[in-house]
Amino acid sequence: MSNDSRLPAVEIQGLRKVYQQIIAVDDISLVTYRGEAFGFLGPNGAGKSTVVKILTGLVAPTKGTVRVLGQPVNHVEIRRRVGYLPEFPSFHRWFKGRDFLEFHGRLYGLRGAMLEKRIREVLEMVGLAGREHQKLGTFSKGMLQRIGLAQALIHKPDLVILDELVSGLDPVGQRDMRELLRALREEGTSIFLNSHLLADVEAICDRVAIINQGRILKVGAPAELFDKKKVLEVRVDHVSEELLQHLSSAALSIQREEDDPCCLLIEIQHDEQAADIADIIVHACGARLYTLAPRRLSLEQIFFQTIDALNQGN
Amino acid sequence: MGLLLITRFTIQEAFHRWLLLAMLLLNLLLLAVFALLLNSAYTGVAAHAADHSNPQLYLLEFDLSIGILSVWAAYLLSGALTIVLTIGMTSMEIEAGTFSVIVSKPLHRAEIIFGKWLGYALILSIYTAMLVFTFLGLIYWRTGYFPENALPALGMLELSTLVLLALTTLGSTLFPTLVNGAIAIMLFIGAPLASFVQLISTTPGETAQNVTTLVNLVIPTDALWHGASYYLIPSFVFSALQGQDFLNGLNTPFTSIHPLSPALFAWAILYCIVLPIIGAVRFQRRDL
Repeated sequence: MSNDSRLPAVEIQGLRKVYQQIIAVDDISLVTYRGEAFGFLGPNGAGKSTVVKILTGLVAPTKGTVRVLGQPVNHVEIRRRVGYLPEFPSFHRWFKGRDFLEFHGRLYGLRGAMLEKRIREVLEMVGLAGREHQKLGTFSKGMLQRIGLAQALIHKPDLVILDELVSGLDPVGQRDMRELLRALREEGTSIFLNSHLLADVEAICDRVAIINQGRILKVGAPAELFDKKKVLEVRVDHVSEELLQHLSSAALSIQREEDDPCCLLIEIQHDEQAADIADIIVHACGARLYTLAPRRLSLEQIFFQTIDALNQGN
Repeated sequence: MGLLLITRFTIQEAFHRWLLLAMLLLNLLLLAVFALLLNSAYTGVAAHAADHSNPQLYLLEFDLSIGILSVWAAYLLSGALTIVLTIGMTSMEIEAGTFSVIVSKPLHRAEIIFGKWLGYALILSIYTAMLVFTFLGLIYWRTGYFPENALPALGMLELSTLVLLALTTLGSTLFPTLVNGAIAIMLFIGAPLASFVQLISTTPGETAQNVTTLVNLVIPTDALWHGASYYLIPSFVFSALQGQDFLNGLNTPFTSIHPLSPALFAWAILYCIVLPIIGAVRFQRRDL
């Protein structure tokens, strides 16, 4: 992200959305910047999609203000500069790929040679070149996701809002889409990525907000949020009380894996402590060490840790 | 312009759905059967015309009856197509999730509603006109009879179609597809009941009159059909046969010897304008 892009892309202030009596979004405030890839991370039902729908004008907020690229979100003209891919791309199945893109391109105001050029370009970008005469009804889920992304990019938007980008894609498709988004970010396109997949946001995003039960728990760079604490996965031949006692003197915390009695998750402060852990296991306790590897925290663990930390802070 | 893009999209979509094509094919079949029956019936009527005291009146009675019956069939078919084609114009898109990528485009939501309304209005108006003129054309081909006021009659039918379209347009923004369909069908079929009640009651009282007025305000399609049927009766019939049984016999739950009142005509036009506007306002505020 370049420094000249500190203009806001998305500004959310005191956002609240209540469906009948259910609070979907509860007093959210955040700012993302131009050229930044921002990840919105949370479990299903956390309120992510509601925020995205508010950003795209599909849902009206109960309270609060939302500005996109400096304009209120209900200004129709600002949508010419925004591309959107919904969570479950559901399109009119009778459209052929090319006609679908032509229709959406025209809705964005593209015409003539420019529209034709962009149709060819985006089909190439999302890996659907040669499929333009195929009906959407015959597309696979992954292909629908790709054509959906193509319609979101056809007008070269300044901001792309993506809801669960890779949910319908196979591993190759996921890699392709991540590379495409990284390329967009390099070109200066702002990205707002909604996801419940840690790998997505880590691979693409400059900053991440973690949301749960309609509230933002944390905002920061992925490295700050996910790598603060280092966890080692250790497998030994036998976990004795003596071993646990020795390890507890060198580790911040130790957890036993429920489904593997010989596996421990050891939290340490610094990388160098991994050598101490190995020394304790092998030399001090005489156990056989099979595995000692860093383990990334799962999203669920990060949520629980974040929630626990907030509770302790309170 | 967004509205016209949505109109074009709506027309394209209608032709890509099997529903419209199936209806058109069935109509062709129906018209073929009608032509055969008409030919057979007219041959019999013409052969026996000489047996009657007034052969010309006898033939006119046949021409009028078959003319009114065929336009009534066109009215029913047009109403049926309007309902089945448009009950989900907004609700089905919302239920299927297909609106997400359209509503998030640089469009006013009203453009989507009015664009769709315009698309369906064009399809249904052309369909109704084609159907009416095909029926009347077949009758002319076989009998030589063509109603002199066919155009005003068609205008009433077109207005009736637009009234029904206005109702489904509003309903589609308020209710799920099936509920909207049920409401539209109940009203369209239920509206003539008021005419039947008036016929059955030997001395129609104030209550019956009020109920008829209320029904016509809620859904003016039946009143418009009666207005259309008036224009299907040749003007000389009114002048030459004033007060005779033949003319009085045309005042039935299906037909009328009186034109649509200007107030009801104005109400029908207002209905066509106001209901889609309410639908657009409702859609503007709706979470998707």
